[in-house]
Amino acid sequence: MPETVTPESVLADLEQILIDVIGDDLLLDGPLTMETSFDQDLQLESIEFVALSEKLLETYGEQVDFVGWLAEMELDDIIALTVGQLVDFVASNASNASNASNADADASEA
Amino acid sequence: MPIEQANGLKLHTQHLSTAAPDGQPRPQVVMLHGLVIDNLSSWYYTIANPVAQVADVHLVDLRGHGRSEMPKTGYTVEDNVDDVVALLDRWGITEPVHLFGNSFGGVVSLALAHRHPERVASLFLIEAHFAVEGWGEHMAGSLALAAFGLDEDAVQDWLAENADRKLSRLAKRSERFLTETTLIDDLQAEQPIGWLPEIACPTYAMYGAETDIMDRALELQAKVPGCELEIVPDCSHSLLTEQSALVRDRALTWLDRVT
Repeated sequence: MPETVTPESVLADLEQILIDVIGDDLLLDGPLTMETSFDQDLQLESIEFVALSEKLLETYGEQVDFVGWLAEMELDDIIALTVGQLVDFVASNASNASNASNADADASEA
Repeated sequence: MPIEQANGLKLHTQHLSTAAPDGQPRPQVVMLHGLVIDNLSSWYYTIANPVAQVADVHLVDLRGHGRSEMPKTGYTVEDNVDDVVALLDRWGITEPVHLFGNSFGGVVSLALAHRHPERVASLFLIEAHFAVEGWGEHMAGSLALAAFGLDEDAVQDWLAENADRKLSRLAKRSERFLTETTLIDDLQAEQPIGWLPEIACPTYAMYGAETDIMDRALELQAKVPGCELEIVPDCSHSLLTEQSALVRDRALTWLDRVT
């Protein structure tokens, strides 16, 4: 997992992952923003969203519980997801996990 | 992306699970999707993640679909059964699995349970399609019609002008599938199945009340021993996406009962 996780760093990671998944065409309509929606704006195919989730999991590790997060959503919620929702979820969970592992490290040093 | 080499093909799969709090082994669930425009994402978007709270879920892009390889030939139900069994072997899953099948994935699930009863613990079927008299001809006929339509220059022009990225890509892939592989011929050659009474595992089947294949629902109930049938009002063949919350609840209840 990256050392410091902020919404800005997650957004940058996400942009790179999206370019990997769907190619440079991604940025033809302007930069990725927190308001961009995966379905309406990016026209992401559902199978590409699966690939995106997998790459995020590879980047941030099991501490970011995508399976649990998506399990709470209805189909319409997933279709309507925006970049901002995903970024906020990853940033808050990854930084919690990072704090927890730092705390573990502090405890073991003490 | 987990691409597995199985039965001579590269097949795209996804594994979803959460750590069991008690460390106990969890049920193994394999989900199989429908034909041509479908792929494993229809499960991913609907019930796969909720089911992964209580089971290890294995999603498969059947040959020719999603991100799996699209060979020129080999699209019979039996070919698909061989692919799934090869994947189970590759994953080292020897215990019986709970097979979830949607539409065409339903017939693959049924055929796997018939040919390899020792590998299947239960069947959870949504709008299961299977061969009855004239099925191959009917499926092949409608797919050929779709292929013919997609192939027309006018349709291609319309798609280029009007379709968004997602629809264009779907149409392009479907056209390749229907015109460059033996899918239509292979389905046309499928024979009606006479072995439904030999299915030995617990089976739950859901269909929409407005489905175009209600005869399959009634045949499953009549012939598969102990098959439980639920008809969902105001739903079509797209039951999984139209009523995903209901299907999710039924799936979780089913797993609770059969494990």
